[in-house]
Amino acid sequence: MKTGTYIEAVGEFYEGAVFIYGTTLLIIYAILAMLSLGAVRRFNKLDKHIDYNLLLNSELTPGVSVIAPAFNEALTIIENVHSLLNLNYPNYEVIIVNDGSTDNSLELMIKEFDLAEVDFAYNERLKTKQVRRILRSTNHAFSKLVVVDKINGKAKADASNAGINVSSFDYFLCTDVDSILDRDTIMKLIKPVMDENRKRIIAIGATLRMANSCVIEQGYMQRVVVPRQLLPRFQEIEYIRSFVMGKMGWSVINCVPNVSGGLGLFDKEIAINAGGYDPLSFGEDMELVIRMMTYCVNYEIDYSIRYIPVTLCWTEGPATLKVYGRQRSRWARGLAQLMWAHKKLLFNPRYGRLGLIVMPYNFVFELLAPIVEALGIIYYIVIIILGAINWEYAKVLLVFVYSYAIMISTLSILWDQLTYHTYKTWREIIILCLTAFFEMVAYHPLIVFYSIKGYFNFIANRKHSWGNMQRQGFGQAGPRTRAITANS
Amino acid sequence: MPAIILADSLFGPFFRKYFYYYDSYPLVIQIAIFLTGVAIVTTVVAYSSILLRRGRGYLVDARTKKINQFLDNLITDHIIFNEDVMNGVALTDVQIDLAPFQKPIFRQTWVKQALIDRLIYFSSSFSGDRNVLFRRLFIELELEKLSFKKIKSISLSTKIVGLVELTSMGIAVADVIILPLTNSRNRKLRSEARIAYIKLSKNDPFKFFDDATEPLLLWDQLELFKIITTTEGLTIPNFARWITYSTNKSIVSFCLKLVIHYNQHEAIPAIVKLLDTKDHYLRVDAINCLGKLKAEEVEEKLILIYNNQPLRCQIEILKALGRFSTGNQINFLRNEFLRSTDFDIKKNAARSLIKHGRQTKEVVQMLIDTATPESAIILKHCMNPLIKY
Repeated sequence: MKTGTYIEAVGEFYEGAVFIYGTTLLIIYAILAMLSLGAVRRFNKLDKHIDYNLLLNSELTPGVSVIAPAFNEALTIIENVHSLLNLNYPNYEVIIVNDGSTDNSLELMIKEFDLAEVDFAYNERLKTKQVRRILRSTNHAFSKLVVVDKINGKAKADASNAGINVSSFDYFLCTDVDSILDRDTIMKLIKPVMDENRKRIIAIGATLRMANSCVIEQGYMQRVVVPRQLLPRFQEIEYIRSFVMGKMGWSVINCVPNVSGGLGLFDKEIAINAGGYDPLSFGEDMELVIRMMTYCVNYEIDYSIRYIPVTLCWTEGPATLKVYGRQRSRWARGLAQLMWAHKKLLFNPRYGRLGLIVMPYNFVFELLAPIVEALGIIYYIVIIILGAINWEYAKVLLVFVYSYAIMISTLSILWDQLTYHTYKTWREIIILCLTAFFEMVAYHPLIVFYSIKGYFNFIANRKHSWGNMQRQGFGQAGPRTRAITANS
Repeated sequence: MPAIILADSLFGPFFRKYFYYYDSYPLVIQIAIFLTGVAIVTTVVAYSSILLRRGRGYLVDARTKKINQFLDNLITDHIIFNEDVMNGVALTDVQIDLAPFQKPIFRQTWVKQALIDRLIYFSSSFSGDRNVLFRRLFIELELEKLSFKKIKSISLSTKIVGLVELTSMGIAVADVIILPLTNSRNRKLRSEARIAYIKLSKNDPFKFFDDATEPLLLWDQLELFKIITTTEGLTIPNFARWITYSTNKSIVSFCLKLVIHYNQHEAIPAIVKLLDTKDHYLRVDAINCLGKLKAEEVEEKLILIYNNQPLRCQIEILKALGRFSTGNQINFLRNEFLRSTDFDIKKNAARSLIKHGRQTKEVVQMLIDTATPESAIILKHCMNPLIKY
């Protein structure tokens, strides 16, 4: 066989494979869109009859521990802890884990909240770096507050595990101390747990959004605004698509792959039995959820993971390419690490949906997607150079992919609008919709590039710099920067 | 396949007109062209929906705000600041001027619905005389007929709205209408029907406990608990009846919570029988209930079964011993504290010892002095007033 024929054969095979791959992905998106629409509508229909205030005065309200790791958060820690202490829920505690901060955040908390060291019986159910001391407030007004002071574990996972060890209630809510929570967050997240008795609800998540450009005062969200900077605005659309369409859709068939580290309510017993967060993982949130699911399958627990289409948490997204790249490389590395660590689950029928849907989807359409796309671009360039491209067909296919991508993003925004009415002006919605037109050309290549970089780091086992992720801070008069652990 | 043929017959002519070589394209390209059309149309429809929804939402909000203000003024003038009520006229003799509520504007369905919603709102915000008047107005304007009509609707969500309206306004509904709904397969309807039944049934408000086949979810329990504990004039039965006979575990569990709330000591024998149930979650609830009722007479029985119980039940027994604080089981608690290797057992044994107060002051001090540092810190933890759990 001649060389040219070989190349043609490989080309044909590649084109066929990519066609099947792409078609399957588009069909999955279409199915997810339909599933999530049903779920959002069902949620809306039921939710308007729900009086969440019932939880406020009932003896039957379940307890929840709110765990928020903090590393060098001196700039905003006081107002953020105040906002966590003022959530609308009667039966909860706030556990702030000071993960060996090198700034004065602990001293500030001690002063503000009248903290005193207590003889706390620390039960190390999950191994963590040494806990130096545990502090409680001598002021009754802050009796919900527990501060854990520990040696830096170089990972949010280690701090979260320390928080879980200290927690008193059967459910814990994990968040970041610099995230802004809706005041009804616990009420909304505990509801699915109280609405189910056939399955064990092991985790519940809700939509996260960008806090960039929002008006935040004293740790409270005052006005939600679409991010003014382009990079966070792209992320806003990406989050809407991922949470409102993706995770809501997966939730319908109980195949949610991940509950975000920024906000998630977890069944403590299952989380501990599954081994807690893995401090060595680069995607500790997804890793925990996969392990919790595996544990449930192994012990024949009929589990369920739920998502609600309500925005309850705002987090500051990276506004510079450098920080964004570090975050995305880390996420990609985490995904590769997770797939490798749990490879025995892949296509394993013993693990039911986990083995046949969750893991295969994430392997084929999340992990491999950037590689397939990168190869596609290279292939395009090669056939252009070789003059083997059929421009007419190429243009048709490009227009198709582009219009389909815009359709999916627009539908996500529409689904989101069914439940989320906090954008005040039409202008904001229009800006958000128009941004979707540039996403594919201006934003998506970044995801591909940094994902491949993350995979390379994983394969080369390059040491990850935990470094600091510069954030701008919320609601300040001018741009101030502060450093947090690179855990977003 | 028929879908493809249908799609081709619908869109084919369009594509053939504007893509001259459409039929000569490979299937992949034909599909791509077709789906591009679908994507563009869907995107345009989605944009239109977003804009229409926002526009409609804005108009509805503005309309609702305006009518609510109008209705609030009417209700304030004629009910809240009713002259007769202000002058101390007996409630039965109070005159409500219906004329302003019968103006032509009230012929519109949405205005009637807005009036119902406002009356429900005011009814939940007021109590006493005003509440009676809101109810009278609701009946005299025959708004309850609309709610009854909703209950008879085929649509489940309309039925729910009707039930909520009648329950909120305290309008009696025949048992024969509500009772079947308390076992509806629709969760929300079932829940609302149960609430309505407890609140409105004149005969036996708890009758549905006998027939409930569907489980009482935790949220349902929360709603029912509030209704049961806040409805005035409700005759509270002895919940032992369902603890003994109900085969629905969630009903039993809920009754245990009600027993605690109403401190029904007469239910203790029924709860003791529950200690033999195979369901250990129910056993945990039963032990918890006995502890909170301070049923000291079961102390020996709890000690007797302790060693055969799973961890959750053992912890609950230790808590119950602390709640009893009879002083009879100090040695048992001390031994559990010293012997057990389980953190939660040690902690709960320590907490129960400390709950005994003066009776165990010396024992606790001795334990602090002689125990290992790990054990001593558990005792100190439990003694610290700053630590609640």
